[in-house]
Amino acid sequence: MRFGIFYELSVPRPFAPGVERTVYENALEQVRLADELGIDTVWAVEHHFLEEYSHCSAPELFLTACAMQTKRIRVGHGAVVCVPAMNHPVRVAERAAVLDILSGGRLELGTARSSTWSELGGFEIDPDTTKQTWDEYIRALPRMWTEERMSWRGTSFSMPERAVLPKPVQKPHPPLWVTVTSPGTELDAAERGIGCLGVAAASYAEQERRTREYHRRIQSCTPVGAVNENVATLNFLYCHEDPKEAARTGLGMLGLFGLSNAHLLFTREAYPTRAYGSLANLAPGPRAAVGREGSPADPSGIPEGMAIGDPERITRAIKEWESIGIDGVNFLLNAMETIPQEKVLASLRLFAREVMPAFAKSGKR
Amino acid sequence: MLVGTGDVDALARRAPRLEAFPAESLVLPDVEILQAVFELEGQGIESFFPPGLHPTLPVLAVFAFWRAIEGPLGAFTLAQLRLTCRSGARPRQLLVASFVEGETARAELNARFAFAAKPAEVTLARFYDRAEARVVRDGAKLLEVHAGAPLPLAASDLQFFASIHPAQTPKGLRGVQIDTEYAIARAERGRPVLDSFDAAAFGEPRLRPSYPVAASIALGDITLPRVRFVVRPDVLAFEGTEAV
Repeated sequence: MRFGIFYELSVPRPFAPGVERTVYENALEQVRLADELGIDTVWAVEHHFLEEYSHCSAPELFLTACAMQTKRIRVGHGAVVCVPAMNHPVRVAERAAVLDILSGGRLELGTARSSTWSELGGFEIDPDTTKQTWDEYIRALPRMWTEERMSWRGTSFSMPERAVLPKPVQKPHPPLWVTVTSPGTELDAAERGIGCLGVAAASYAEQERRTREYHRRIQSCTPVGAVNENVATLNFLYCHEDPKEAARTGLGMLGLFGLSNAHLLFTREAYPTRAYGSLANLAPGPRAAVGREGSPADPSGIPEGMAIGDPERITRAIKEWESIGIDGVNFLLNAMETIPQEKVLASLRLFAREVMPAFAKSGKR
Repeated sequence: MLVGTGDVDALARRAPRLEAFPAESLVLPDVEILQAVFELEGQGIESFFPPGLHPTLPVLAVFAFWRAIEGPLGAFTLAQLRLTCRSGARPRQLLVASFVEGETARAELNARFAFAAKPAEVTLARFYDRAEARVVRDGAKLLEVHAGAPLPLAASDLQFFASIHPAQTPKGLRGVQIDTEYAIARAERGRPVLDSFDAAAFGEPRLRPSYPVAASIALGDITLPRVRFVVRPDVLAFEGTEAV
């Protein structure tokens, strides 16, 4: 089992001078502590225009700062949006390689296609095309990293033969992932031999079904590069010795995050298309988020599988994820700075001391 | 969290009276539908919403037309302007104004579902290359919109959301939640063009629909079910949602 911390970098209104800097500095302090405590990876999203919800529009810069301030924690794009209007594939390959060099070979590269109209519309991107451009990118990126020179004739981009430089430190290249929001994307990941970076909540039963299918299908994949057979899920972490305090604080974070997520303008709400099969959701359902749909047997109101509670409860939840084949769990530590920084750091320390020793490091990569 | 800052007293002054919540559904068969969606521009979009609702970012202006050639309300054509928002975490569209051609329909939709529709000449025509609609009142063109380059979609590709109709109800001033159901038989997406729009005639001179997003062109049965929930306009949904 591998543990990660995951950043949206949400910023609460009002947007007073300095508040964004505080959010970034708090996150960097958490990353430094996570590095010391043995957390495996820090992930950062790429979002644009999502007021309050995420002010993380240049994750490569944030992750570079993370890499420069740490020694061993891996740095992960969670994820680069693979559409030309936002990121040309050559620039994705170049920036990723530089980050891999600067971090000493610690890069994980998640890929995505964006799910909100706020973002796609802001860049005048046709939602019908994003799955196609993503698919082209993930086939092109490994070639850019591994071939001395390469050319490409495609539908979303074309280029004559060029050397894409520099080359990454990791050989043959950094692990590739795709963020999984809509059901079915895990199959896309399996068929291309890349990792599943879960960013949407699913029940144990649903996740188990998806994970089983992923592992079954990846055995006969057509790999786009080096196979990365891993499934990671997104979770929320608030660990405290007092279960009531943990539930009160953790559910507050969860509820606020769920509400702010529900306020995003998802693509299908604005733009009828077959390319986005659902109103995507990065968070547990809002009702679950406010604790109305927790297990009937669980008076805490904490939704199934959430890493909120005392160390014993969190250990049980993660053991359950582990038992269904999950290789990694990535945690959001805060939302809108609703939890004071010292409490976030204390929660992380307690988690590292009391929960992490119960889990063996996965040898998978 | 972004919340509405609109004046509740002003909302109360323009809200129609709803004497009773409808106990029965109203089914409208074979309705031609056009929804043309534009992003709203300008500062102060929060003020278009009461404090009980959250604006989306961006706010979308949804011009929705329904044309029925027969059915329980007879032939009628309805034009609505709705704005996208959230009630708590739920996607909703706040009704700003509506116009109806067809007196029987206007009376019924107003009395039973608080559409607050004004009489006007409302037209909706669907061709193979475009759909076009307009609202004319007292000889003045209030709205003209069209959708070109229609592309066939599956019925399930279209999404519709519940509306909030402000009204003076038996419970007081409330947003009446209209959970309109659509059984779509034919669906297309087109490119919307706003040819003309008189914002003042729609009750909000500051509205500036600008960036075109998409248009849905469809045919289907529309059901206006009995009202299940209302929301208080002055407090957030977690506190202000009431069952009927």
